[in-house]
Amino acid sequence: MIIAGILGDLQVLLTDTGMWVNLLEFGILLYLAALGEVIAEKAGVLNLGVEGMMAVGALTGYWAGIQTGSPWAAAVIAALAVAIFAMVHGVVSVVMGADQVVSGLALTILGLGLAAFLGTDLVSQPSGAKFSDLSLGALGDIPGVGPTLFSMDGMGWVALALGFITWFVLNRTRVGLNLRAVGESAATADAAGTPVVATRLVAVAIGGAFAGLAGAYLTLKVTPSWNESIVGGLGWIAVALVIFGAWRPGRVLIGALLFGGLIAVGPRFQTRRCNGDEITDCITTEINPIVVSMLPYALTIAVLVLLSIRSRNRPSVAPAAIGQAYRREER
Amino acid sequence: MFGFRLAKRDQALPGGQVLAFGIGLIVALAFGAVLLVVAGHSPVEIYLKMADAAFGSPQAWSTTLTQAVPLGLAGLAVAVAGSMGLWNIGAEGQIIAGAIAGSWVARLGPDLPGPMLITLMLIGAAIGGGLLALGPAIARAHLGVNEIITTLMLNEIALRTVRYLVNGPWKDPTSIGFPVAPELPEQAALPTLFERADISVLIAAAVLIVFGFYAARSKWGFELRIAGSSEKAAEYVGISLKRKILTVLVLSGAIAGLVGGLRLGATDRIVEGVAEGWGFAGIIVAALALMRPSGVAAVAIAFGALRVGGVAIKGQGVPASIAEIIQALVLLGALGAAVFTTYRIVGPNSNSGGDATSRDMSEVAS
Repeated sequence: MIIAGILGDLQVLLTDTGMWVNLLEFGILLYLAALGEVIAEKAGVLNLGVEGMMAVGALTGYWAGIQTGSPWAAAVIAALAVAIFAMVHGVVSVVMGADQVVSGLALTILGLGLAAFLGTDLVSQPSGAKFSDLSLGALGDIPGVGPTLFSMDGMGWVALALGFITWFVLNRTRVGLNLRAVGESAATADAAGTPVVATRLVAVAIGGAFAGLAGAYLTLKVTPSWNESIVGGLGWIAVALVIFGAWRPGRVLIGALLFGGLIAVGPRFQTRRCNGDEITDCITTEINPIVVSMLPYALTIAVLVLLSIRSRNRPSVAPAAIGQAYRREER
Repeated sequence: MFGFRLAKRDQALPGGQVLAFGIGLIVALAFGAVLLVVAGHSPVEIYLKMADAAFGSPQAWSTTLTQAVPLGLAGLAVAVAGSMGLWNIGAEGQIIAGAIAGSWVARLGPDLPGPMLITLMLIGAAIGGGLLALGPAIARAHLGVNEIITTLMLNEIALRTVRYLVNGPWKDPTSIGFPVAPELPEQAALPTLFERADISVLIAAAVLIVFGFYAARSKWGFELRIAGSSEKAAEYVGISLKRKILTVLVLSGAIAGLVGGLRLGATDRIVEGVAEGWGFAGIIVAALALMRPSGVAAVAIAFGALRVGGVAIKGQGVPASIAEIIQALVLLGALGAAVFTTYRIVGPNSNSGGDATSRDMSEVAS
């Protein structure tokens, strides 16, 4: 009886276009932020400032959207602003060599504080720009993927492209090799002539730009409004995703879609939420959405534990020099 | 760059951390002043108002100390783990767990006399916080799982647990839509110490002093510092690292949990925002205090004053988030400046300059 109910619910969920659209939106958002963190961590810089960077990006994007009226211009402005903002972490932890954990957390607190402070006047203001869905003609008529994947907005395709570019640069180019070398063993990379500090700074800046895009996408598409608690833990999910996806752009994408799906499904497990008029189209099981919203974090802990058990016999998948400041004088 | 580079000092600069804190404070206040000017306020006027609200009268002092309590204890929680080289980023969640456990105890015994109820509530809170840290502690000690990420993730889970409780099973039916739990029994409120401060100030001071002395004088504290400086040295002298990690992280969680219990006295009931960012602020406090209990107390009072000042200027139309901004900037400024307590700048013409190959030379020269 219960199983039949859950199976019925699944069917309702899977045929709910709104659910798939939400899944893609949250997936894109999480993917952008997590991808940026992958780049920074691959260079050996843990940045726990993602939550704060996304808040700054969300505010900047919303403000720039009102000023320019163009979601693309607003997203670019937000990316640039957050790349600069991320340099606070870059200067303190990479140049000055302070502890990355503390510096990154301070960046989060600073970002949340700044966004709350500077955004007070924007709370009641209506949105000025919004990403619109991209129509791909006949592709949009394909049942299933048509109204969802092939109707998503441009940022979705940008995120996929950035994911591919990140994978390609990291794994198939000289630049990527140098970046990974800096993250694996800074001293060795330095001896080979790679500028360690500059490489790490650039990686942190790109990570910031990606978090800025993610934040802007939040206020220019997913929830087009501004309030100081709008990021609400999405940045921490992005940090989690990097581990969940084992620092690989492809796996991180799968994780982003999975976690995005959990966020999208959460509020739908309320009784009598119906797609159509017929009673067969309704969700029958009631699961508290707050409980569902814990799952991404719980899953990450589970994956982390599993990875640790597995890596007892093989090398860890994490970049070896992550969290370590590099000072040539101490070599 | 430009021939200037950093060279390690033979000895850390004496009083360097105080100096770094001072530099951080100046950087933060200067940046805060810019923000205030941009927002159309006079920084001097606002800062004076903040200082007056924090230190201007006995009543001001009582509110400052009240704010310093959770900051100091959360800072101590992080510092306990930090002195062993472990990062408890989960104080925020452990505060929530403490508040949940504390109010659960208080709900069980509404007829108990005040002192007994309060004692049980605080013990329950400490156990709650310790329990939330137990998982990461076991994972770290036995599987080597990074405690930073596990404690971080548990923050979000704890936050959603309290959200679930006050929206569902524990929701006050008379609260017309507001997601809050019913008020705790009257006798669970902490007795007043002076003005607006309750006895949590004494409790926090006692915990800090006892722990400060214990960590400095006992074998346990000594072993802790050895384990923090070198795992190999610790194992060589026969310290069980696994047990140390377990006890230290759980103790850290218990201290944070105590904050949750004490905050219940201040808020009368458990609400979703019971942790209010105290746990994250505790990380800043501990980092600035270099994980030392005495430093934790001093930084906690300074930041308590900042928060009181931040709330006081709300009436002038300045968002209270200015206090958070200044806190974060003090830390970032101090982190950056702290480099110069262990390093000094060497000019391009000094004989210890030059490239890295002359490292031996520079050591001779300095």
